[in-house]
Formats: sequence, C-alpha cells, structure tokens
Amino acid sequence: MTAAQTGEREATAPPGGDAAADPLLSVRNLQTHFFSREGVVKAVDGVSFDIKPGEILGIAGESGCGKSVTSQSILRILPRNGKIVGGEILFDNGESSVDLAAEEADGRVLRDIRGKEIAMIFQEPMTSFSPVHTIGDQIIETIRIHQDVSKEEAHEQAVEMLRRVGMPNPARNIEEYTFNLSGGMRQRAMVALSLSCRPKLLIADEPTTAVDVTIQAQMLELLRDIQADLGMAIIMITHDLGVIAELTDRVMIMYLGKEVEHGTVEDVFHRPQHPYTRGLLASIPKMEPGRVEIEPIEGVVPSPYAMPTGCKFHTRCPDYIAGVCEKQDPPLTAVGPGHEVSCYLYGGREELE
Amino acid sequence: MLIYILRRVIVMIPVTILISVIGFIIIQAPPGDFVSSYIAGLEAQGDIIEPELIDSLRARYGLGEPIYVQYWRWVSNFVEGDLGYSMIYREPVVDIIAQRLPSSFTISLLSLILVFVIGIPIGVLSATKQYSLADYTFTVIGFLGVATPNFLLALVGLWLLFSWTGTVSIGLYSPEMQNAPFGLAKFLDLLSHIWLPALIVGTAGTAELIRTMRANLLDELPKQYVTVARARGVKPTKLLYKYPLRIAINPVISTVGWLLPVLVEGEVLVSLVLGLPTIAPVLLDSLLQQDMFLATSIIMILGILTLVGTLLSDILLAIVDPRIRGAV
Repeated sequence: MTAAQTGEREATAPPGGDAAADPLLSVRNLQTHFFSREGVVKAVDGVSFDIKPGEILGIAGESGCGKSVTSQSILRILPRNGKIVGGEILFDNGESSVDLAAEEADGRVLRDIRGKEIAMIFQEPMTSFSPVHTIGDQIIETIRIHQDVSKEEAHEQAVEMLRRVGMPNPARNIEEYTFNLSGGMRQRAMVALSLSCRPKLLIADEPTTAVDVTIQAQMLELLRDIQADLGMAIIMITHDLGVIAELTDRVMIMYLGKEVEHGTVEDVFHRPQHPYTRGLLASIPKMEPGRVEIEPIEGVVPSPYAMPTGCKFHTRCPDYIAGVCEKQDPPLTAVGPGHEVSCYLYGGREELE
Repeated sequence: MLIYILRRVIVMIPVTILISVIGFIIIQAPPGDFVSSYIAGLEAQGDIIEPELIDSLRARYGLGEPIYVQYWRWVSNFVEGDLGYSMIYREPVVDIIAQRLPSSFTISLLSLILVFVIGIPIGVLSATKQYSLADYTFTVIGFLGVATPNFLLALVGLWLLFSWTGTVSIGLYSPEMQNAPFGLAKFLDLLSHIWLPALIVGTAGTAELIRTMRANLLDELPKQYVTVARARGVKPTKLLYKYPLRIAINPVISTVGWLLPVLVEGEVLVSLVLGLPTIAPVLLDSLLQQDMFLATSIIMILGILTLVGTLLSDILLAIVDPRIRGAV
C-alpha cells in the first residue's frame, strides 16, 4: 500500500470518535513474519489502519488471519520467533509520535507505554492472572510501575477500579486469587487490571471467545460502559461478527495476513463488497423460519507455508477472474466514503499490464 | 492450616508402623541370622564351635523366639530410645548412629545446597535461552551427570585431586585434626574435605534438577499471565522471578523432603570409596552380616526421615502456593 492511499483514508474519516483529531495509533504497512524450521509464515503481510482517540475499531477474520499477531505487534509482545520485518506503528503519546515498530521490544519506551498508554485484555481471564498472586497484587504492581504513588494510594486506586468494573465487594476481592472468583468476576478483574492506569487505547484480543454467552454479553456491556466512562479507544479483535456489530464503529476484515475490506459497521455489514466478506456474512446462522442451512465458504484456508500468489482469497473465491487475481495483490479501492476493498472486481486491474 | 498439619501428622503414625513391620520382616527374611554368619566366620578361620556357645549366643540376642515376639521386643525398646546392640561393632546401636549420622547429615545438607545453588540458575538459563549453545552444553553435561555412577565420579575426583595437589583426601578431617576438639580450625579443615563428597553425592541430583527446572519453566513461560505481565510493562528480569520462576519452582519444593534420604543412600558407594565416616557404609556392613538391630534401626530412621521430609515439603508448598492452601 502506498502513502497516498493511507492519506486518502484519513480524509474520509468515518463516524465514531473525534473525526477531526489526529490518529492515536497509525499502523502503516505492518509486516510481521514468523520464522521456523518449516519456513517463514507471513502472519501479517502489509496491514494499515488508523484509530482515533475514543474510537472503537473491530478487526475480524478467521483463526490464522493475523488479527491477534497484529495486536501483539503493536505492544511488541510477539513470541520469540515472530519479528516485525516492515512497516511502522506510530503511536501519539501526547507529545510526539513514537514508532513502536522501531523500538527495542522490551526496552524502556515500550515498557512505559505498555499498561499505561496501551493496555490489552486477553482471551482467558483465568490465566491472565498469576495463580499464586492475588489480583490486587498484580493491579497494584501495574499502578506502581507507571505512577509514582505509595502502596496505600495504589491500593485505593485499585479498589476504586474494581468498584468501577462492578466487582461486588472490591475491598475484599482485591485480596482474592483468580481461582476463588467466578467466570464473570474474573472478566471484570481482568478489565480492571488492564484499565488500572487509564490507558488511551485498549486492545481486546478475543475477550469473549472463551466464555459462555451470558458472560460474553456482560463483557460487551462492561466494555461499552467503561468506554463511555473513561473515553479510551478500543481495538476489538474477534472472529465473532456479532460482537463487532454490537460494539464497534468501524471494522477491518482480514484474510491470511491481509486487509480485505474496511469501513463503517453499517457499510461492511449491509453493503459488503469483497467476496470474502460476503462469504463470512453468509455463513452466519440466520434466525429466519424454515431456513436451517448456512452457506459456508467453499474450500479450506491454504497452508501458511504455501500461500497463494496474488489475491490470497482467489483459490476459494466464487468471483475469481482467471488471469487476473493470481497475478498480484489487488490494491485497496474506495467504494464509498471510508469504505475500501482490496479486490479486482472494484478496480486496480488497469494497473496490471 | 493447623488442622491440615495435624491431620498429616496423624496419618504418619500408621505409615511409620507399617515401615517398621516391613523393615523388620525384610531384614529377617534371608535364611540364617547374625549368629550363623558369625559362626561361619569363626569356622572359616578353623575354630571349633561348641553347640552350647551357639545356643547361649542365640539366647542372648533372643534369636530363637518367634518373629512377632522379637518384633515386639525390638519395637517397644525402639520407642523408649533403646535401639539394641550391634553385634558386629559390639556397641549400642544408638552410639554408632550418633557418631555417624551428623557427618551424613552435613554431607547431605551441603549436597542439597550445592544442588540448588548450581541446579536452579543453570536450569533457568537453559529455559530462558532455549536451544542456545549454553542450553545444549548444559543438556549434555546434565545427561552425563545423571548417567555417571557416583562411585566412578568419586574415583575420578580422588585421582584428579591427587594429581593436582598430591594429597589423598580420605575422610572428613586431616589426620592431625581427627581427635582435635571442635573449633574454627577443625571446621575449616572439615570444609576443605567435605566439598568433594558433597559435590559428588549431589551430581546426579544437580543434573536432574537442571532438567526439571528447565522443563517446568518452559511450561510456564508461554502461559498467558506471563504475556499479560509483559503487556503491563513489568521489567523482564522482575517478570521472570516474580511470576513463572515462582511457579516453576513449586514442584522442586515438593521434592526437597524426600531428596534428603535419597542423598543419604546415595552416599553409600561414595563414602566407601572416599572412606567417609557416614551412616551409609555401616548400613551396608550390617546388611551383609545380618546385624539385625543395626540394620533395622538405620532403615527405620531413613523411613522416618522420608516421612518428616515429605511433611515439611507439603507444609512449605502450602505456604508458597495459595492454590494448595485453599484446598486444605
């Protein structure tokens, strides 16, 4: 993707958040690859997006599409064999713009941002806390890493945050271990942990995947409330399109490390353009009477070691154009205000000779 | 917690009784007794033994009686602190054990400390730098350590020490210190002798601990709470010590207890080779010559050591791990 294309996107900022504001986080052409004995896996291969203060962005796609790796790249908490090989992750820390991709992974700059400016919540609340430390211990630790406060003050702040996320008895809950808490309480404790320093950006990596539906609903409600309360931006990473529809302003759909479509939730859900997005939406079970079958996307996700050439989706695409799609990666094409698609059906063919 | 400890102590009572019964029966199981092997020894030297002497010896040690009577007499004396009389050493068993057990303990304790001081850091290094040159090197050394018999190491150590310094380090003290009163000089002399046996006795344990530590830590490192802590801005070194290491070390704590008797037994051949005045060679002698009171007493003491050690481990584990505390 070229700089001109990302510039174009800023000009057509979608609703949600402050449209006039500069982006809080701007990911440009991010490439994160994994190196193993079997070969190189291009988990994220040229992804760009912006998020403005207070905005909620959804990133959706199947397992293995690179959505979690994208979030791990931002905080530089990739597994040992994962490396950012290209692109920029520009974060506005209030004074200047820092390129997180260029900093040392566990260095001072990143450590100061982690937990304070950008926080993250993960899939399983049970395993997010150390089983042999109280939840309070870990919340207070985070507060004291980033703020110069006494133990008592940090303790107070922690209790306050637990109250805010709706823990029934914060003063007592703070002394508890995760194995003493119910599933819903663990979720809340985890949210309290990530929000303990009031971050500007919260990355939620599949926070609703490993829990049952009632807790899932509570979680979404909690995130919405907290977001209204504290006003941070949220990146919601999930494979669950229902969650995206319910919570986010904008959405980016990913397939095999590439962005295939992005736009407002309105646009993407009601006017999906990319064949993959259409396939995803068609594969959601419907509640209409008399209709039981869902329409799965044909074929299987290719092996990460044998990626198709050109458009990554052409091997499964119902609208595959022979002689075009397998040649080169399709560029992003605007199909409406703030709505872009990476597909030759909508343009970019003239650039192929 | 107190109830937990109390319950554990009560459970120990029947186990101790069981150990005493099994120990006693096993020692009695081989055909013959001390008197017959004693007489065989005398006859081998050409002495002629009067049958009356045999009978009087048997009567003196109560060997002619049924096994349960013998067991009962032994066990009731044992409880009162009378461990019987050693037939080979011609000394009360209590005295022999009192002379020898402290050296055994000192060597075992020092071994234990060496095992931890060497094993844990290397295990941590191996795990955090997995598949590095250091990891591979220590893996090879570790396997060698587990596979090499202790007595061989003792011989090699002895030979190396001799070729470097010209002294033969036999025993725990220099000859001139052997009968000196215990003081700083004697203590320093002890230290200069004890490190070799302690190191040798601890080799297998160290190698094993390196492997255990490495595996435990490798299990913990990819866990989500580690990533979460990293994502909260915790410093890498503090993160390692506070979270995964703390949890990876728990299984090690649970083995401390029964490591102690294992080390005592592990000394047998090392003590024989290095000529150390520990309990282990005495156990071997007493078993060979069917010195039943001595052998049974040592086995009993090792058994009780194991039980107490396990209890201590469990209490320690409950202190460091709230999940166990919650379950008791």
